[in-house]
Amino acid sequence: MSFITSLVPSFNRPAAGVSAPADDRDLGLIVKPAFELSETSECFALTVNLPGVTRDGLEFQADAETLTLTGRRAWKKPDAWTALHRETDDAAFRLALSHDNAVNLDKIQADLRDGILRVVLPKAESIKPRKITVG
Amino acid sequence: MQNESREDRIHPLKPKSGTIIMRFVHYTYPNRQPLPAFRHSPWAGLESEIDRLFQNTLGDLAGVAATRRVPVDLYEDKDNTYVRAELPGVNREDINVELADGSLNLSATRKSKTGDREENVSLNRTVSVPDAAVQPEKISAAYENGVLTVTLPKREEARPRKVTIAIK
Repeated sequence: MSFITSLVPSFNRPAAGVSAPADDRDLGLIVKPAFELSETSECFALTVNLPGVTRDGLEFQADAETLTLTGRRAWKKPDAWTALHRETDDAAFRLALSHDNAVNLDKIQADLRDGILRVVLPKAESIKPRKITVG
Repeated sequence: MQNESREDRIHPLKPKSGTIIMRFVHYTYPNRQPLPAFRHSPWAGLESEIDRLFQNTLGDLAGVAATRRVPVDLYEDKDNTYVRAELPGVNREDINVELADGSLNLSATRKSKTGDREENVSLNRTVSVPDAAVQPEKISAAYENGVLTVTLPKREEARPRKVTIAIK
């Protein structure tokens, strides 16, 4: 079984929606932001598109199992403005990523600039590749 | 070695032979809050469940940097027409706003640099604006938090007018 779970990591995970945090209700509509995750031998790098989100509206939480990101848009339509055509959403962004304790939580670095959040997630020592010297 | 890490970036979820699969899988909650009556329907969460399954096998095919979509909103008030476009991650000097022949063209280049790899993505969007209704010399634009707002002042003639007509 452990072989199968290593091939299909989703077997390890609870069904989506089961562990949805309670504060979801307060947020109203939620959309998933566009994101990209890449990996090097030292770290994971996460890039998330969060147009219209300021540092104050962004919440980023990390624990041993999940990274949760919530971004509220800062801009509110002035009352005098009438919408003629809409393609964007007013909904808040939320992204939740689960991992197998793969990240060194103490060394996460995040930077939000011009609507793009870049996060560097250093790998935990336990999952880094290591060289074993044969005696 | 260099080549290997590039490969990783392109296929973040592709397992390398002999190594453990990257244990970083994604899930998200349902995009929309269902109607209260359907909140406990068996289909709640199905969308993200499907999303999750495909995520594991396909990864994110369209990366963030490659997103070329430029969603645009149009607003108006008494004096101005406003165009708001989502252009995250672009430098101010790489944004170009042009008005010609009744169409407003927004173009931008998103330059992203990861390590030694540079990537330029050009974004383009055209919105038609009635030439007769705007004062081209007074157009202004602002870029904030990845959103570009272009303000197009209306001409006097195009503003709503209130006329009281005397009845004889």
